[in-house]
Amino acid sequence: MQKAIRIGALVAVIGLLVGLVVYNILNPPAPDNSVWNAAMSKGDTETAKHHFVMYTDIFCPYCDKFSNAIAANLDKWEKDYIERENVLFEIRVTDINYRNGHSNNSRPAGIAAYCAARQNKFWDYYYALLAQMFEDYHSKGIGVDPYSQHIPDLPNSYFTDVAKDIEFDQDSFKQCVDNQETLSELNKNTAKAEKNLNGSGIPHFVFDKFVYDGFAGNWDTTHDYEQVKTLMNAGLSTK
Amino acid sequence: MGIRKVAETIFDRAKLGLFGFGKVFSRPKYAIFGIFCIILIAYILSFWQNGNGNWQLICSGLPLGDKLGVLGRVFLNIGENFTSLWGISIILLAILQGIVIAQLVFTWRHREKNAALDGASTGGIGAILGFIALGCPSCGIGLLTPILSAIAGASAVAMAETIGKIFTILAFSLLIFTILGLGYIDYVLASVNNRKEKHAKSN
Repeated sequence: MQKAIRIGALVAVIGLLVGLVVYNILNPPAPDNSVWNAAMSKGDTETAKHHFVMYTDIFCPYCDKFSNAIAANLDKWEKDYIERENVLFEIRVTDINYRNGHSNNSRPAGIAAYCAARQNKFWDYYYALLAQMFEDYHSKGIGVDPYSQHIPDLPNSYFTDVAKDIEFDQDSFKQCVDNQETLSELNKNTAKAEKNLNGSGIPHFVFDKFVYDGFAGNWDTTHDYEQVKTLMNAGLSTK
Repeated sequence: MGIRKVAETIFDRAKLGLFGFGKVFSRPKYAIFGIFCIILIAYILSFWQNGNGNWQLICSGLPLGDKLGVLGRVFLNIGENFTSLWGISIILLAILQGIVIAQLVFTWRHREKNAALDGASTGGIGAILGFIALGCPSCGIGLLTPILSAIAGASAVAMAETIGKIFTILAFSLLIFTILGLGYIDYVLASVNNRKEKHAKSN
């Protein structure tokens, strides 16, 4: 009897594993080739040969890890991929982690990102915010994985103060963040992203026909740019 | 039998289980085999640590050299795992699974096939639960999240994080239970073997 229970449990657990793998393979996300927000893209939207999309949430640690690796090698990355390979790189910012209850900071961060995009300064703002978050939290092991300490709920001022060195209309940006003026765009894009992700997590990358989930196995950043290059080259070489 | 007596029996069996574990791994061939299993499992777990990204790279149009690079980099990930509690839990899972496999081989080779099968089923459940619990649930990356999304929608990630932690605790518990259970049997087998060897020498 005990043996039968044990074998039954083993079969059930193996069945669960196989079921999960089969489900994941049979349900790939649908492609979406339009640019959602031109200010959140790099490259030529008209003539680009390749379209590389990253679905992200600013409070998704591994999304930030990918973007920080690019920020640290920005000139080289832009020269090698945006210019030489004529890639259109687009970031689709969501507040998925706010919706799933993982981080209340995702929403104000997403709103602020779209506010910066309104003034065509998304990239300056995005990299400044990620650098600040790395300095304040990620570099200290906070908010990096399921077992680490969570990042506390941050005030709106955290997201506006980050922009103080960016040359744009500061008052208009602050008003946009405080009044949540871009919330409807964030909501609309998050809903579209959830549909496209179809259950996949973030970061989720769609590079032409190549689809990739996650980024670099753990929090060590030594080999992150190599991993970025591998991902880019996989996108370029997958027909 | 009173609760105290039962607790004492369990404690004694666990103690003997640890002795048995020591007896198996004091034999060089089992120690080497155990270490090999630990490295192999640590590699497999690290390969799938953040969902199926590495697998997607292997299936991509990358040249063979780059694909080998992806496989090689997984070894670096094993070392980098020591930088976080999450990574250390993956290493611990690999160590426990490696020990169970080495103990199973020892038990099987000493003609205790029923005990080995029992250990294999319990340890197997623990190993698979540990594998399913892998991934970064805060990012929704992992095996559990997609299916939970279909059932629970937006709350899937939070659910995956909770279920992942429960599965990890279950995996650790089942593997430790298996190690102590098999260790007890191995202790008995090793003791009988020693006596047989002494008896053969004296004759």
